[in-house]
Amino acid sequence: MISTKHLELVRLGLRSLLGYPMRTVLTMLGVVFGVGSVIAMLALGAGAERELLREIGRLGIQNIIINSVKPEESTDSSSRANWINSYGITFKDHRRIVATVPGIKRALPVHVSKRTVWSGSKRVEGTLYAVMPEHLEMFQLNTSVGRNLSHLDDEKLARVCVIRSGLLKELSIFEDPVGLPLNIGNETFHVVGVLEDDAFLGYARKALSVDAKSSEIYVPYNSILKRHGTRSITRRSGSQEATDVELNQVVVSVEDLDQVLITARVIDSLLDRSHPEKDYELVVPLEVLAQRQKTQKVFNLALVAIASISLLVGGIGIANIMLATVTERTKEIGVRRALGARRHHIMAQFLTETTTISTIGGTVGVLVGIGLVQVLTLFTGWTSVITLFSVLLSLSISMAVGIISGIYPARRAAGLDPITALRHE
Amino acid sequence: MKNSVVSLQGVHKYYGELEPRLHVLKGIDLNVAEGEFVSIAGTSGSGKSTLLNLLGCLDDTSKGTYLLNGKDVSTLSDDQLSQIRNEDIGFIFQSFNLIPQLTVFENVQVPLLYGARSISDCGDLCMQVIDSVGLIPRLEHRPSQLSGGECQRVAIARALINDPALLLADEPTGNLDTSTGDEVLALIEDLHRQGRSVVMITHDPDVASRAERRLLLTDGVIVDAEAA
Ligand SMILES: Nc1ncnc2c1ncn2[C@@H]1O[C@H](COP(=O)(O)OP(=O)(O)OP(=O)(O)O)[C@@H](O)[C@H]1O
Ligand SMILES: [Mg+2]
Repeated sequence: MISTKHLELVRLGLRSLLGYPMRTVLTMLGVVFGVGSVIAMLALGAGAERELLREIGRLGIQNIIINSVKPEESTDSSSRANWINSYGITFKDHRRIVATVPGIKRALPVHVSKRTVWSGSKRVEGTLYAVMPEHLEMFQLNTSVGRNLSHLDDEKLARVCVIRSGLLKELSIFEDPVGLPLNIGNETFHVVGVLEDDAFLGYARKALSVDAKSSEIYVPYNSILKRHGTRSITRRSGSQEATDVELNQVVVSVEDLDQVLITARVIDSLLDRSHPEKDYELVVPLEVLAQRQKTQKVFNLALVAIASISLLVGGIGIANIMLATVTERTKEIGVRRALGARRHHIMAQFLTETTTISTIGGTVGVLVGIGLVQVLTLFTGWTSVITLFSVLLSLSISMAVGIISGIYPARRAAGLDPITALRHE
Repeated sequence: MKNSVVSLQGVHKYYGELEPRLHVLKGIDLNVAEGEFVSIAGTSGSGKSTLLNLLGCLDDTSKGTYLLNGKDVSTLSDDQLSQIRNEDIGFIFQSFNLIPQLTVFENVQVPLLYGARSISDCGDLCMQVIDSVGLIPRLEHRPSQLSGGECQRVAIARALINDPALLLADEPTGNLDTSTGDEVLALIEDLHRQGRSVVMITHDPDVASRAERRLLLTDGVIVDAEAA
């Protein structure tokens, strides 16, 4: 039961702390920095996890991405300079997956090719992604200007494209890009929309084979496939190399989240039979996310553990000062005992003081930590998340530090013999 | 015959674990009746403070028994002794022993914090007691801002706050000039008149003469001062 008597004891405890303001503040500093760094580490750890979720989660945790991979060349490449280099996932694979693998919502084909893009006299090497309209939707590729690709575009084999603003910059186009003609290969495509500046990051970029320039050009799948087929020719100083990859990518969406991993195994074994040369790879975002999160969690734990060391040092600081205080106030303890204080009263008095120091220190530490995180995110661009949980955790830890660091000094004080304490000068 | 508040039988006190031990009290027999005012004199180092600490349950006897209100003190637990010090005994120290960081009011209040009494009426009680020693104008002052006599009066007020039946005073006037000493003594005499038992230590014969019974501590035993 908390009575006014307890409050009075707390008030008097505060009084003796205020009696030595400098010492109290210095003692507090240990906890302030300890809690501050714990808060900062927790915030940065949580930020890194959120970033991870944003980066990999964008690939869709219900998805399985199958990429065609160029196999290691077995023979000397110069002797087969004019050969057709054919590998990867085929239309037949695609059909078979759709027909035989259960629990699939859809399997979107993607064809990727490198093309030279002209606008007037400017030219850049661009990457063309022939995709179904659902593809853009699935990866949250929304237009900020104009419209997105539609099924009608696909059916009519329209020569339209949706681009990234990065491409406009490379082509030095500053006017309204909607309706702009771009010469891609031997044909003219009209820009119908520009995507939001929300590029794929890190792992997602690799998984979708998007380059770092983030200047993808998206065109209707059938406009490319029906008009051009799948063969692409790269000319290189005299020799030319033809590549024929039917599908560069298939994005499979699984109906049930629980079935994602099993479905991935099924697809893998299905493809494995017809592709002994391993010219494909499977990316399972759900799996990658889980792995990365696990690694991140361990890393976060290590960060917090390191930060906790400073909190430990802070606790030792409190214990140390309190031991000195007990010696210094031995006489006072004797007086209190002579006036009827029981051992537990003396214990409580010193524990109140240490807990007060550490709790105030902890509160200031939380503020310092939040400030530190703000500064860090401002200067480094890292993501950080300060959760209520981390604040409450730090506060309870600092309270516990106060109690634990107070126990030994308080026991020492309470254990003093009344008459010996009273005689102490 | 009145009940004995304090009853010492063959009490010895040694200091030190190893021989030769310092043998300070060598068989003390002492009875203090309810409401009695006793003074104890003796040369410096004769063991007066040692004796008073025993009476105040601050220290324990090496040999012999101490009955306080008929109870053998050596059988009591630390918490029980604390309770006795809090409720039954008012101790006035030779050197005041006020807590320096607390105000007059807070110093007087200290015993209340450790007692069973609820603190709700304690403000009034403190004021009443402080008023009785005439220190209302110095309520918010620290001991360092008070004169010696004022400090001693705070100490008396503190000893009185829980209305103890037994008052122990260790040279309450030792640090004071004669006129302030007289004021303090007058306070103690008042308390005695109100029915409290008082044991006062002093080596000043004038001060000792204020008591009903004067004792002398010499060679570790108590003798009647009048007879000596
Ligand atoms: N804790 C202790 N350890 C060892 N010796 C002690 C201790 N306390 C007191 N003494 C010794 O016991 C003797 C009696 O001490 P005490 O304080 O009782 O004397 P006193 O009669 O009160 O003297 P004064 O009049 O100077 O206050 C002294 O010789 C002192 O040195
Ligand atoms: Mg003495």
